[in-house]
Amino acid sequence: MELVQKEHERLVKKTKAAQGLKSVQHSIDLLQNARDAIAADPSQASIILAKLQNPVKASFDSINDSLKETHSGLNKYSKALDKLFKDRPLPSMEHDLLSSQEHLINRAIAMHLLREGQFSVAATFLSEMAEKKAAENKQANTANATENAASLLDIDEVPSGEVRKQFATMYYILHELKENNNLLPAIQWARDNDEALAARGSNLEFELCRLQFVWLFHGAHDQQGPTPAGRQAALAYARREFHGFLPRYLREVQQLMGAMAFCPNLQDSPYRSIFNNPSAWSDVAHSFTREFCSLLGLSADSPLYIAATAGAIALPTLLKLQTIMKAKRTEWTTENELPVEIPLPPSYLFHSIFVCPVSKEQTTDENPPMMMPCGHVIAEESLKRLCKGSRFKCPYCPSESHPREARKVFL
Amino acid sequence: MAAELTSTRLNAENHLLLDQSLLRLPHELARRNFKSFQRLVERERELVLPGLKEAANASMSNSRAPDQAIAALDAMISRMQGMKRKMENLHQEEKSIHEQSRKRIQHLESLQQIPSLADVKYDQWSRVRLNRLIVDHMLRSGYLESARQLAHEKGIEGLVDLNVFVQCQRIADSLRHGETKDALQWCGENKAALKKSQYNLEFELRLQQYIELIRSGDRKKYVDAMMHAKKYLAPYIETQSADIHRAAGLLAFPQDTKAEPYKSLYSLERWNRLSELFIRTHHELLSLSSRPLLHIALSAGLSALKTPSCHSAYTSSSSNSLSTTTSVCPICSTELNELARNMPYAHHTKSYVESDPIVLPNGRIYGQQRLIELSKNVGCVDSGKVKDPTTGEIYDKSEMKKVYIM
Repeated sequence: MELVQKEHERLVKKTKAAQGLKSVQHSIDLLQNARDAIAADPSQASIILAKLQNPVKASFDSINDSLKETHSGLNKYSKALDKLFKDRPLPSMEHDLLSSQEHLINRAIAMHLLREGQFSVAATFLSEMAEKKAAENKQANTANATENAASLLDIDEVPSGEVRKQFATMYYILHELKENNNLLPAIQWARDNDEALAARGSNLEFELCRLQFVWLFHGAHDQQGPTPAGRQAALAYARREFHGFLPRYLREVQQLMGAMAFCPNLQDSPYRSIFNNPSAWSDVAHSFTREFCSLLGLSADSPLYIAATAGAIALPTLLKLQTIMKAKRTEWTTENELPVEIPLPPSYLFHSIFVCPVSKEQTTDENPPMMMPCGHVIAEESLKRLCKGSRFKCPYCPSESHPREARKVFL
Repeated sequence: MAAELTSTRLNAENHLLLDQSLLRLPHELARRNFKSFQRLVERERELVLPGLKEAANASMSNSRAPDQAIAALDAMISRMQGMKRKMENLHQEEKSIHEQSRKRIQHLESLQQIPSLADVKYDQWSRVRLNRLIVDHMLRSGYLESARQLAHEKGIEGLVDLNVFVQCQRIADSLRHGETKDALQWCGENKAALKKSQYNLEFELRLQQYIELIRSGDRKKYVDAMMHAKKYLAPYIETQSADIHRAAGLLAFPQDTKAEPYKSLYSLERWNRLSELFIRTHHELLSLSSRPLLHIALSAGLSALKTPSCHSAYTSSSSNSLSTTTSVCPICSTELNELARNMPYAHHTKSYVESDPIVLPNGRIYGQQRLIELSKNVGCVDSGKVKDPTTGEIYDKSEMKKVYIM
């Protein structure tokens, strides 16, 4: 990388088109002068013209010289690039599973754009897709015009209006929350969905209300720090809203009330962390996004982002594998499991993984994990192989059991 | 947790796999620009210098009056001025290409400063890359306006090659509409580079022109067709002899023939194939990958993330949208689920579960600490009971049973 940077700097320095331009201007001046001289004194024409030959030639030569230098600079830069990307050809998979599923990729992109809040780009993208589809249909089959109109409305492939509306709501709430410190839309949303949130064990509504309390306490919109008026407003808010939280969050509510006693000197009180938490707003925004997406059945981070990043991390390993596989004339996409392990950062592991300690295979729906009465787990196929239909000893402890007693478990 | 299962080490040089065209493409453009610069100088030199000599000789032998010499000089001056103008344009272009390369090198260089994949900076860098990949995909699929808007909103216009793809798309479209002019002009501009190409774009274009001449069935046009073949097809006789013979045979078949291969030569589908061939040649010339980069990244990423649980008929206990303690796996999320269905899943040699697994009577495995914590938050569960977050069933704490996972 350093080499490339250095060579590029050198190339820019070596590119002397400006000098070439000067030489051209010089030639033009020469010609112009000669022309004027001949016009002034026609009898000298042949001498002036004869004199002109060499300087003009020389200026062309100087252009060529500067070109030569540029050329060598370009070549050196080429070599530096080749060196940087040597042995790193892009994978050329013949089994391209994705190209045939272009519409699914486009859908993922559209949803990613919506999720990132880029509604105008998403709208353009969707309309361009519809346009292209219409054009293709027209080309493919001009006769079935009515059918085409119907397939255009087929919203299976693009995110439906419902999803779009949901994300628009989410961005409205987040915008209010982040830019205007206005928690009310978020609290309203949490109330509307309180059953689903409670089933998830989410504290979102309470967290939002607590932040609202703190915000009122600090003087609402002007945030001058604790004032008597702010305290009044906060207490009034607590009286109005908090009773619903009492069964579940008694301790937290008591904490907030206890803090009132320290009002003049909160900085040194044990309640400091609740009232002066600089990341409180971004934390709440983050957990709101998470809850919102989860209720839609979506992951909190953009899957497209995670997948593309994981892809970039996995590519070097897969590429190495590909070169080895090529020698053996197999392709990795033809198997239903990758042949190598790819190290990803811990945050990229989502599911628990069970590898049978006997067969060293991952369990699947067809070959689920089975727990023996002793609490050890092996894959069903291994179990069948071990027991041969009768009582058998657990491979990990002395206890014996019948295969009937083994139970399927879910990770 | 097994050490080899996860790693946050970032090998920046290896990481540049997807970013090659970022530098390669402007470099190809710079080379092309240089070539036209060189050609321009060469051509003018060959015109001006002999012209000058001739003028001098003529005036020496006095065969021409001085005003003729002046006229010759005037012509040369205007030529040179034209050349200067062209050089200035090329120079401007060159400067902007170099500036672009410099910025891109800087962008890639910034990756070298990031020590680990867990770094916030890596996250930002990777987001820029994702946007780049999306723009690349949009450009290749012909969604130009979306690509332009996205690049503009994200401020990454310097990192994507809008103009290159716009031009490519324009020529490909003209081919789909049955026009060879733009494509042939492009071939003319890239003659030298095309010699190294593995595709015979120019020959195929000329052949198509020939076919179009015959298609009408008008006998008079046949003469033109034969002239055309002699001029443009014959030079390829060594490499394309079979195609040329077939083209000659085409003269004997009418447009609605059912005989292969002549039927497919007349086929209008051939225009679409030409358009694809052009795109392939174009990408090859500019060192662009033949598949969108996003596809390459995704197919690797989907496999690396996918587990057998992602398309299982049973809800996974460890990653679902039903409780706050788990996060939804990206492959299980609606966006990618269908896309990943036919991909292979990642290979693992070690189990990866929470450190304190217990099993509930319904067979579901959870981390004990996590389950108790969650049951407390859910509220409607009495102390001494736990709630299965996936199925909603409530069990007594004594029903939790230790499970051993190796």
